[in-house]
Amino acid sequence: MFELLPHLLHQALFGALAAAGFGVLFNFGFRALPWCAAAGALALAVRTIGQDLAWSLEGASFAAAIVTSCSVSLLRKQLGPACNAVALAGCIPMVPGAFFGQALLGFLSVTAPNLVDAEATLIVAVQSLLRVIFTLGAIGAGLLIPAHLLRNQDF
Amino acid sequence: MEQQQDPVIVRHRELERIANMALRAGRIMMECGASVSVVHGGVGMIARGFGVEDVGMRSGYASLEITVHAGGNTITRMMQVGRLGVNHRLDQAVRKLAVRVSQGGMSVDEVEAEIGRLVRETPRHPAWVVAVAVGIACASFGRLLGVDWAAFAAVLVAGTVGQYMRHQLLHHGVNVFIVAGLIAFLAATLGGIGSILLTSDTVSLAMMASILLLVPGVPSTNAQTDIMDGYPTMGSARAVWVLMVMVFASVGVWFAEALLGLRSL
Repeated sequence: MFELLPHLLHQALFGALAAAGFGVLFNFGFRALPWCAAAGALALAVRTIGQDLAWSLEGASFAAAIVTSCSVSLLRKQLGPACNAVALAGCIPMVPGAFFGQALLGFLSVTAPNLVDAEATLIVAVQSLLRVIFTLGAIGAGLLIPAHLLRNQDF
Repeated sequence: MEQQQDPVIVRHRELERIANMALRAGRIMMECGASVSVVHGGVGMIARGFGVEDVGMRSGYASLEITVHAGGNTITRMMQVGRLGVNHRLDQAVRKLAVRVSQGGMSVDEVEAEIGRLVRETPRHPAWVVAVAVGIACASFGRLLGVDWAAFAAVLVAGTVGQYMRHQLLHHGVNVFIVAGLIAFLAATLGGIGSILLTSDTVSLAMMASILLLVPGVPSTNAQTDIMDGYPTMGSARAVWVLMVMVFASVGVWFAEALLGLRSL
């Protein structure tokens, strides 16, 4: 377990930095940015633990989104209606943008002339696209289900 | 002889002002990244705060429509919605205003003035701060994807330059999809060249990490939220928009890889 700790801390740290960076892009105030970073660290920590337990990316992302959404809901008094947005910012580092790009580049490759192994290229592209769809679905569902069940206020 | 105004027309004019003001608040929330259910909720709160009995709304990707009914009078109005982005502080400020209006005691003039003040005075981070923050975020994404430390610096610079240029192009009204393609090409090229110069072993990953600023994370989750909340039309429109942005971004990366000799055109 302890040998995994450096990797876990690494993922949590860069999850926090990514979430806070996108928090600035989304115009979160300076008081909310540490919460975005904390949510990002929590989400990446949970996802990393899940993947270390041999869960799929989709399953680990779903668990991470649920834990993040529930944890942020506990801070409703401090964060108010912004708690849903903080949870979302925390989960942004889990959005599989790189897989999305790889999938589309793969599809572009399939149409290229003189393609050597079309089947393998297509399968990799389809796998990447399916991974994007399922992971995005897992993140969205993981964020929404606790917010609905715990009746987080939008206003 | 003094000309008397038709009371029905007067009531319609009053309803029209309420409808347009509520739509303006809804448009701001929509442009700031709120989901459809939040926009409908906020607009409804504002309209009912002025005594409107029934509120009906329809949201398209580029417009909002509202029908308000009060005292036997009904009107329908529509308003264009601009480019959808994310502005958390303005979104939250308008939501707070909706709560205040729903509690009563504000006039239409006061609410219109307050909406104008919020749009003018809600603070935004300076462009260079956003650019550096996004550069750090892209580099962090890169580490999560597995880029080495040599490429980390290259991605940081590429993401920072890419975000700054994106801000400038969007500010000058360039089409959002063209911006996605251009910025993907620029950022991927910078990330790739930087990684090669810094003797990184993860050049392709670094190029991909450099364009992650373009991945529309909020619209993609909003698409799902809208569909789950019962607005599949808007959710589908958002999903198509996300797909189009990613197609343009991927083409940008494709050309960057071709330029650096990593792929043939």
